[in-house]
Amino acid sequence: MSRAAEVARLRAERPRRPFVIYSNLTLGGIILASWLFGPFGVSGWLTTARLSGAREFLAEMRPWPLRDQSWNWDVAFGWAADLWQRQGQEALLTTLAISVAAIVLAGCLGFLLALPAARNFAHPRPFLAGGKPAGPVESGLWRSLVWLTRVVLVFLRSVPEYLWAFLLLALLGPSPWPMVLALALHNAGILGKLTAEVIENTDDQATGALRGLGASRWQILLGAIFPLSLPRFLLYFFYRWETCVREATVLGMLGMASLGFWLTQARAGNRYDDMLFFILAGALLVLVGDVVSGVARRIVRRA
Amino acid sequence: MASEAYQGRPAFRRGPGSLATGLLVVGALGLAGLAAARYLGLDPDGLLPGAGGLRLAGDFFSRALSPALAYEGSYVVGGPVSVLTDALQAALRTVMFAAAAISLSIVGGSVLGFLATSAWWDQPGVPRRAFPLVTALARGLITLMRSVHELVWAVLLLAALGTGQLVAVIAIAIPYSGTLAKVFSEMVEEAPRDASHALALAGASPLQALCFGGVPRAVPDMLAYTFYRFECALRSSAVMGFFGFPTLGYHISASFENLHYGEVWTHLYVLFGLILLVDAWSGRLRQAVLS
Repeated sequence: MSRAAEVARLRAERPRRPFVIYSNLTLGGIILASWLFGPFGVSGWLTTARLSGAREFLAEMRPWPLRDQSWNWDVAFGWAADLWQRQGQEALLTTLAISVAAIVLAGCLGFLLALPAARNFAHPRPFLAGGKPAGPVESGLWRSLVWLTRVVLVFLRSVPEYLWAFLLLALLGPSPWPMVLALALHNAGILGKLTAEVIENTDDQATGALRGLGASRWQILLGAIFPLSLPRFLLYFFYRWETCVREATVLGMLGMASLGFWLTQARAGNRYDDMLFFILAGALLVLVGDVVSGVARRIVRRA
Repeated sequence: MASEAYQGRPAFRRGPGSLATGLLVVGALGLAGLAAARYLGLDPDGLLPGAGGLRLAGDFFSRALSPALAYEGSYVVGGPVSVLTDALQAALRTVMFAAAAISLSIVGGSVLGFLATSAWWDQPGVPRRAFPLVTALARGLITLMRSVHELVWAVLLLAALGTGQLVAVIAIAIPYSGTLAKVFSEMVEEAPRDASHALALAGASPLQALCFGGVPRAVPDMLAYTFYRFECALRSSAVMGFFGFPTLGYHISASFENLHYGEVWTHLYVLFGLILLVDAWSGRLRQAVLS
């Protein structure tokens, strides 16, 4: 066979997935249509007025004691230290505390919700098929439990955190609870789904063997499912904590004393130097969170 | 590493003591949670809404099963349009903002990801320390873009550039570019190097080996991840409405503040439907691509 024919044969035999191709075409079409018919007005958007506004904005980001003066690190540092002491410190700690409280709550809720969502755990004959088959009513009840839990999980995670916080703030009134709960509910939905997958993917030789020896559903949970799925669960837990820190910085925009609150205050008062300070403080917190989470995940994975 | 939790297949080295470490971590986390709750002054009583909150909750949830189809207010700007029509149009705009943002992010993420990867200089035939400066700069930029939330970018850009719909697109695109860049570069680095090594040994330049051997091996992962991010962009785009952009969040907050809870539910249900649709789509695509 000639080389060209060989290439043609290989090309004809390459795996093709129509669904993937149509998905790409669809997304491409949506993107094209959005730019063509969307309300963006790209041409003529970057006007000179906008640019001069931006230049003014950049000038106002200079710390106020240094406006119209040459740069002096001591003055800048004094300004930053003052701001840190007055608001920054508390804002940063509040943001961090919100993210930690929320993710711990989300972890507990998510793990509890993952159990009835896992098809091998929430099954009339858990972990080991065989034996006397369950009756249609019993299996139907278990199946609807799984289905119902999954609907709850989808609902929890499809509502964005900010929207949860907005609604909860109206219901619960001003306290840190709306922000903590908003983050916890959204992430419980995500952690619940991921953990249910982990539980379904646990080594069924171990669980099946325990079942064969007569262990109950809850004994298998404690003796096999929990230790086998813990490392992966913690991995997801820390990964979601990173996003919690990110989101906690903005939820304050709804009016609670986290970084976002002081940021919008500075914006409302046209104090762009303070605003930049809070943005950078938030970025630093997120960065530290990423590093801590990375270290924690490495420890968990090595365990 | 966002890709890690998303791909769901990290390698665990299991050994004795792993459960003990896990339990120690769990205990430490419990303590951290308690300390955080203490710092915030969270007590269970705060979870019970006051009398006003209860009334509001009753009013709000009683409309869950009867979302409004006509506007509840007596006066509506723009004439008698049904709420559902408005909600569907807002959903369309939500998709448009998300799609525009993700398209910018794919371009930005690919360029930055390419600069940030070690895969094109960490190859046979390239001096080991050829491009670390470019890589380090790109990674620093990616980190900065990712560390600031899209809503904060929106506030910043609104202050700097003034109003305009494009601001929301750019605000979403900046952190999303960073995330795509980070994940793309990790995926290229973690992809099997068999093809790129074969090409390099056959005389291809490192760049050719990366483009024709390395990147294609990572494309399925990258594609699936991009669809996942599109789903996230949809949520971000909806939330942008709270800042005055004409997406679903705008209608939700406006109706809520007018106490028109039936309208709120209409918009909420449209948002769920949209997100469920894209969630199912990206889930199926992930299975198709990664199987």
